[in-house]
Amino acid sequence: MKNFDLIKLPFSKNNPILVQVLGVCSCLAVTAQLKPAVVMALSVTVVVVLANVIISLLRNTIPPRIRIIVQLVVVSTLVVLVDQVLKAYVYDVSKQLSVFVGLIITNCIVMGRLEAFAMVQKPWASLLDGLGNGLGYSVILIVLGFVRELFGSGTLWGYPVMEKLGLYGIGYENNGLMIMPPMALILVGLIIWWHRSRNKDLCEQ
Amino acid sequence: MKKTFSNTYIFIYSAVLVVVAALILTVVAVSLKPLQTRNQQAETKQMILKTIGVEATRENADKLYAEHITENELCDKGYIYYSYKGGVIIPLHGTGLWGPIWGYLALDGNGIVVGAVFDHKGETPGLGGEIASDKFAQRFIGKKFSGQPIVLRKNADKGNPYEVDAISGGTMTSNGVTAMMEDAFERYSSLNALTIDNKEDEQ
Repeated sequence: MKNFDLIKLPFSKNNPILVQVLGVCSCLAVTAQLKPAVVMALSVTVVVVLANVIISLLRNTIPPRIRIIVQLVVVSTLVVLVDQVLKAYVYDVSKQLSVFVGLIITNCIVMGRLEAFAMVQKPWASLLDGLGNGLGYSVILIVLGFVRELFGSGTLWGYPVMEKLGLYGIGYENNGLMIMPPMALILVGLIIWWHRSRNKDLCEQ
Repeated sequence: MKKTFSNTYIFIYSAVLVVVAALILTVVAVSLKPLQTRNQQAETKQMILKTIGVEATRENADKLYAEHITENELCDKGYIYYSYKGGVIIPLHGTGLWGPIWGYLALDGNGIVVGAVFDHKGETPGLGGEIASDKFAQRFIGKKFSGQPIVLRKNADKGNPYEVDAISGGTMTSNGVTAMMEDAFERYSSLNALTIDNKEDEQ
């Protein structure tokens, strides 16, 4: 049950974006469309899981004074590695990732989980924790990407939904604000509001 | 948990860690290099073929390219361009918001754009990154590459052969594309004028 909590809690009660407020930068930057949001969500999940396991395996050998540097080295090595492999074997996916690769290294969720969890927990628990947080992050990204692409560009995954529904014919127009980063911030705010109202214990006094 | 580590340990630990990371990255980078280079070359050929409406896959790009394109001709100013059956293809190079952007324009004998394709290194996905989409490239078809450069503009007049609709939310990248067009015009307009003069002589 405890292991299951590691995956379940980051989805809601301890969501990295809604509660820990980590990884917000990338969450604003890449959610103008659904596809990049999904690709980013997957990449962060993979990196946070691998980094968590590696740091957890090394945790007893890492001198506390240089632990942040060690974490950074591990994370950036992993990210560059993943990028190289993608470029060689799935070139199109790597094109999709473009700038996200760099963003993963600086994603606070990765270092946040390494620092708060993997440094003091066993590898298996760390793997589950990484998975849970990666998925918790993914859920928010996908919701934002869905809403912003649908109302901002009138498409979903590039498919022209609004056009097919014939809404433009009756005077519907895309909301240009949706594809600007401030709107992502407002949407995250709204989700946090809704989330807090469902989880009163998270509210500060 | 309250283990203490000596300075010597810290030095050796970080040295070993960095060397191991560097080794792994070097081995991977060197061993994957040939595959990556091949992907990039195939992609360039795919892009060029796409401007003249030939859809190539990464596998048959080499063969189709050899069939359709004559490579590496130099214009009077010394810049490379490519030829195909119906006209010329000119390469574009420029700078977007975050890094390089590039593309190819296929022109018919009258200097009318018959196909375009763009790509970028690191423009913001969903905003400036949209220049790589077919939807954006198609806006160039029918525009004129002669007389004056093509510019990107908000709410562009669709009937104007020198104006193309810019990308909302991607103003800086759109400006980069405009600059790239001006640059290309500078380099290749004389080449283009030549083809037009020839046409007029024939008539």
